Formats: sequence, C-alpha cells, structure tokens
Amino acid sequence: MYDVWKNVLAEIEQQISTANFSTWFQDTSLISTDNGEIKIGVKNSFYVKQLRNRYLDLIKTALQNNNVSVSTIDFEVQSNAKPKVRPREITPTNTTVKTRIKKVKEELKPQTSNTGLNEKYTLESFIVGSNNDVAVAAAQSIVDAPGTRYNPFFLYGGPGLGKTHLVQAIGNALISRNPNLKILYTPISNFYSDFVDAVRNGKGKEFNRKFQDLDCLIIDDIQFIVNKEKSQEEFFNIFNSLYQLNKQIIITSDRLPNQIKSVDERLTSRLAMAGAFDLQLPKFEDKCAILRAKAELMGAEIEPEAIEYIAENVNTNIRDLEGELSTILLMSEVRGLTPLELIENGSVSVNKSSKLRPVSSKQIVEKVAKYYNLPIKEMCGKSRVAHIKTARQVTMFLLSKELNLSTNKIAAEVGVKDHTTVMHGVKKIEKDLKLDFTLRDQIEEIKEKIYG
Amino acid sequence: MKIKVTQEKLSKALNNVSRIAIGKVTLPILNNVLIRVDNKKVSLITTNLDMAIIDFLPVSSSEDGVVTVPAKLLAEFVSNLPKGETIEISSNDTKVTISSGKYSSTINGTLADDFPELPEINEKTAVVYKIGVNEFKNSVGQIIIASSNDLTRPALTGVYFNTTDDNALAIAATDGYRLAEKKLIDKVESEVKAIVPSNSLQEVLRSINDEMEEVEVSFNEDLVRFRLGEVEIISKLIDASFPDYQKLIPKENNIKVVLNRDELVRVTKLAALFARSVGGSIVCETKAPDLFLVKSIANEFGENDSVIETKVETPGRINLNSRFLIDALNALEEKEIKFEFSDRIAPVVLKNKKNNNYTHIIMPLNS
Repeated sequence: MYDVWKNVLAEIEQQISTANFSTWFQDTSLISTDNGEIKIGVKNSFYVKQLRNRYLDLIKTALQNNNVSVSTIDFEVQSNAKPKVRPREITPTNTTVKTRIKKVKEELKPQTSNTGLNEKYTLESFIVGSNNDVAVAAAQSIVDAPGTRYNPFFLYGGPGLGKTHLVQAIGNALISRNPNLKILYTPISNFYSDFVDAVRNGKGKEFNRKFQDLDCLIIDDIQFIVNKEKSQEEFFNIFNSLYQLNKQIIITSDRLPNQIKSVDERLTSRLAMAGAFDLQLPKFEDKCAILRAKAELMGAEIEPEAIEYIAENVNTNIRDLEGELSTILLMSEVRGLTPLELIENGSVSVNKSSKLRPVSSKQIVEKVAKYYNLPIKEMCGKSRVAHIKTARQVTMFLLSKELNLSTNKIAAEVGVKDHTTVMHGVKKIEKDLKLDFTLRDQIEEIKEKIYG
Repeated sequence: MKIKVTQEKLSKALNNVSRIAIGKVTLPILNNVLIRVDNKKVSLITTNLDMAIIDFLPVSSSEDGVVTVPAKLLAEFVSNLPKGETIEISSNDTKVTISSGKYSSTINGTLADDFPELPEINEKTAVVYKIGVNEFKNSVGQIIIASSNDLTRPALTGVYFNTTDDNALAIAATDGYRLAEKKLIDKVESEVKAIVPSNSLQEVLRSINDEMEEVEVSFNEDLVRFRLGEVEIISKLIDASFPDYQKLIPKENNIKVVLNRDELVRVTKLAALFARSVGGSIVCETKAPDLFLVKSIANEFGENDSVIETKVETPGRINLNSRFLIDALNALEEKEIKFEFSDRIAPVVLKNKKNNNYTHIIMPLNS
C-alpha cells in the first residue's frame, strides 16, 4: 500500500510546484483503501482543508492511474510526531545528568535475534591495534569467504580483551552481507544446558538437527566444556558434520586448545586445525584509541591528558578500561568538572594493574620456595636436580617480570654465579610457558600467592 | 481591493499577525499576509500551518477583493508611517499600493490562490468556554512556564486543557521535572481533553491587549480557536496523550510550612548564587520549632545559609533546583505561600496560602 502511495506522490509531484508539493504532501500517508474508501493521513487539520479543496481531484486521478478504485477520499490527522511517546511519570530533576549516559546504555542494550547475536558488536567498532591486528585480518577474510581458509577459526585471549566482540562482529557482518545465512552464536554453557534439556526430553535428534542446518556456528568460551563428556561428544559430532560441509565454525577460549584440560584429544587437535589467533593486552597507544572511541560513542568530551592517564593506569583489560572511563565521565557530569580536573584534584584514582601491590624480592623468593616445598637455601643453591632448577628459574623469571630487577641483582638473590645464567633461566621459562600449560598454571598460582 | 484605515489600527493588526509569518522556506507564500475584504469585512490572515492568526480590521471604507503581501515588509512600512494619518491600501492584480499623505509605495504581492485555506471550527460540535481575559492571561502564564520544549516528547510541549473529576476546567503543563496546574473555571458543562501547543498559546497571550474583555475558547477534535476581540487564533492540537498528572500531585504531606513569598524568593536567589557549580541545587530544611533554612554549597566560592522564621512542626530536608523554585514562586501570587513536602524523594507542593486553585510541584534533586 505504501508503494502505491509513493507512485501517487511521484505523479502528483510532476504536476504541482515543488514548494506546494513539499509543503502539502511531504508528510502524508495512505492509511487504507478498503472498498474504494480512501483514507489519507495528514499532519494536522490545517492540511485537511487545503488538500480537500485544492488537490482532491489531483489525488483522485493519481490514485486511479495507479489502479486504486476511488469512491470517497477522507483525511485523517495523524500526528507525525511518531512513534507516539508514551507519557512518562515525572522524574527527579537531576536525572538529566544520568539519562545522558543511561541513554547511551539503552542504545547499547543487547538486541538479540534468534541468531543469539548482539547487533551492537560490529567490526567497525572493533578497534584494531598491534595487539589484535592478525586476528582481525583473519576475521575479515572469514567475512569475505566463510568456511574456507580459517575454518575453524579459533580465537583465544584473556577476559575482557574483545573475543566476544570480535566473533559476534563476524556473525553480524556475515548476516548483513547475506541475511539468509543461518548463524547461531552461543556460549558453550548454553550449548550444554540446551543439550541436557534436549536429551532429557528425548529430543536429542532435533537438537542435533538444529545445529546441522547452520551455515555458521559461533561457540564462546569453549574451555568450559571440560568434564562435560556427553556434551563434548555431541559437540564433536556437530563440529565434524559442519566442518565436512565447509560451514564456518568459530570458537573462542581463554587458552590454547591443547591447554584445555580433560578434553578429548580428537577435539582439541581439530580445534586448532586452521591455527589459533590470539588477542593480547592492548599497548598504550591502542588503549588511548579505545578510550577515545568509547568516549565518542558515549557522546562525552574528555581531554587527551585524561585519556593518557587512564590508559597508563589500567593494565588489566579492555573491560576495566571502559569501566574506568564510564566512572570518570559519570563523576564529571555529576560534579560539573572536566575529567582532567577530577583527576588533577585527586577525586578519582585509577589503578587497575596486574601488579596489584608492591612486593619485595624476598617475598617472591619465599613464596616460590614454599610453593615448591623447598628450603630457600636449597632452591637458591647450586643443585642441578631438575625440579629444584625449575623452581630457581621460576624465581628468576618472576623477579625479572614482576619487579624488573636487573639480571645481576637477580643473580645475587637466587645465588647463581652470573647474570648470563639468569638470562638463560628467564628465557627458558618464557619459552616453556608457551608449551607447558602446567607451568603456566603454576606461575599463575604463585602470583596469586604473592599478591593475594 | 481597497481599504482605508488609520495608521494605528493597521499597524497594530499587522504587527500582531506578522509574528508567525516567518521562516517557512518551503512555501514562500506563508511569509505573506492575506488581506481579504468581503462585504465590508476586512481580515488580515497569516498562518504557519500549525496555527493561524486572523485580525478583523475595523475600517472606514472598503472595496471587496483579496491579495497577499509580504507580511514583515508591510508591517514595518506601515509602522514607520506618521501616526494619526489615514492609510489607503489598494490592489491592482498583484500590485499593492500603500499611500498615506505624501508617502506612497508599491509592493509586489502574490495572488491569493496559493494561500492555504484555513480549517474551520465546526460550531455545532465545538466545546466552548468563556473566560475573562485577565484571568486567562494570568493563568496561562502561570502554567506555560512548566511546559517543555523537548520535541521528542510532544505531549509535554503544550498546555493540557482538561475537565477534572469535579467538573472544573483545569489547565496543566509539565516538563517531567515540575508540574503546574490551575483551575480555570470551577464548573463547566461539557468535557474536554486537549493539548494546546505552548507556541500557539504564547501567540494568544501576545495578542491580548487592554481593550479585550473575554476570551472564547472553542475545541474541536483536532483544532482549537481562541477569540479575543477582533483577533481569532486557530491552532492545531497536539495529538498525544498527556500524563495522568493528578496522580503525581501528593495528596498528603508530612511537612508543612507557610512562608513569606518575597523572603523565600530573596533567600533562594542568594542561595542560587552559590549553587551554580552544582546545577542550581539548593537545600531547604525545616527545623522545629521555628526555622526554615535555605542552604547551598559551592566548593570554590564558599557556602550560603539563610534562615526564615516560621512555625515548623516536623523537621525535614529536601534538595531542589533553585531555578525551578524561583519560577514557581514567581507564578504564585499571594504574600504568603504554602511549602509542603514529605521526604527527600516525593515532590514539593507549592500553593498560595488562601487561594487553592493553583498548584505547582517540583521534583527534588537526588542528594
């Protein structure tokens, strides 16, 4: 019906002056045409009379030319202030301050469709930096040619670094290119709870079919599949059948596949078939870029110095970075000071870093020794026994990474001859960390003990 | 078309109608005033398609005809002619000649064919109220200050004319933070619920002059007409639903004080000076047995404390926007006013001490 009206308008437009057309016809609409009883919506009653007296014949002819039978034409006032605003209850005055931020949040409210995707995540809004450019390039090539080169696409990285954003952005980009694609995004936890439900209700087969039909499956946080043997098996089957049909599979995790504990080896080896891509902590410049983009999105103004301050002092992840930014912007609105003024007068202090509080080299040595159940003397000695040596090297590694001590000082702390031994030790641990997940866990645990 | 009229009358009428004849670029004829002489009846008409102003001009002699002329140009030309002279306007096709004594000019007008026809009130179905002009002007003035100019919430950009449960005609407006209501007529026969755009009402107020006695307001389903003396203003109504505002007005308040209005205005203005950096937020506090305090704190400049002595039964405090409070106090009329609230989240209710027909409520600020 709307299209008919478009044609009618196009015809009328040719017959009267532009000024008249845009004044009188711009905001009209065709409400109904039942039995030749035409109803036309207009802005307000000032338009009714004019249209009826001056343009009725014109409208009638144009309608008939478009094969609409006309017996009567009626006009109805339809406020164009649509959508009609629902009357809201009176609210406290200073909500203006918060509503601005709230508004942004509302706009960002998840809009999930049956794909499970949240439309707010787009590739355009993903800020590319040296910490993630490779993964983003791969994501882009998936959007261009799904199911080919990077299949499965395995993305890993710590929490709050943008895994979910990136994979959902791929999904959204695929949909915008081809709205008919069947895409499903699901965190693995939903996958197995749905699976358990399906099995319990005897609908295991239907569950399987739902996934078999997909063109693209996106699974978030696969590491949580540990100890869910049945789910693993089901997922493995689905994975295989999708893979054989060249359907795109996208998986995220906080660690590499072979480091996901107690998962079927057949599965882990498949997950990393097409390589694994990682998202790392952003560098200083990347953090600044993220903050700038985020502030712009929130419609807030913030000085470059304030951005640099936040970027310098948040060293954990992007989520914390954005959290600190929102806090400061909110405070600046409430207090009526600019973000920089807030920071300078000490109203806010940002300190989010993995180095939680200062520790001494002695504490580190003690904790490592305690963790490995070794007397300090023995650990910081000359023993060449493998596990003692490892403990010593872990100590060197931590002293170097956590306290930035010079190799000479470290040598003195752990009682080795010279700095080359230290350099070797630190390098050895760095290298092992990439392969040995047990070691990675151990170091994390020690760190927790040191800072905890 | 030909009319003869005194400079004063013509100038006044033109100034009144030409206010809305501006700014529509899409249809240039809307910048014109339509001059129509129909059987000795002369009318000057302008419209912006949201409203129209019609001025029936008493003239000494006339010939029938119709023409449109750029409104601002004609109004300015006429207002600069010497007072007391008789002005003659005559049209020949679209050429309009204005002459007065030694002054004469010709303005290129436009044919009236393109001038929009105005909607008309259906007299049979119309709901009509009559109000004294002063009462109307004061009341609308008291209400319109609370209306919003946020176009995304059209219902709040107008004044709501509605008949209350006890058959009174009330007008109300709110911007979401404050609300004002006034009983316009105590008893009416017919019901109405209509939102009149604040802009149109402003024009009605501006059209009021000392010679007018009564306003006749007629409502149709989507149109309202104000008749005052020689002037008629027709406006669209806002097609939206107004909040059920009666529910928002607290029925009972714990804390009630009576204050001298001038004194409260003065201390509020003082406090407001120190409240600029906190968005005008001031604290009103009652202390038994006899203190009403108004405070504000500005970190940079210092702070302000003022005390008004009055009878206090219940202690309490509330944060308010000083600008809203001053607006409300200026809208109240009596020397003494009632200031009532319950707690820090319920609105403050402000009323005249004696006359109960005007209510102004303000939402508190979070403290």
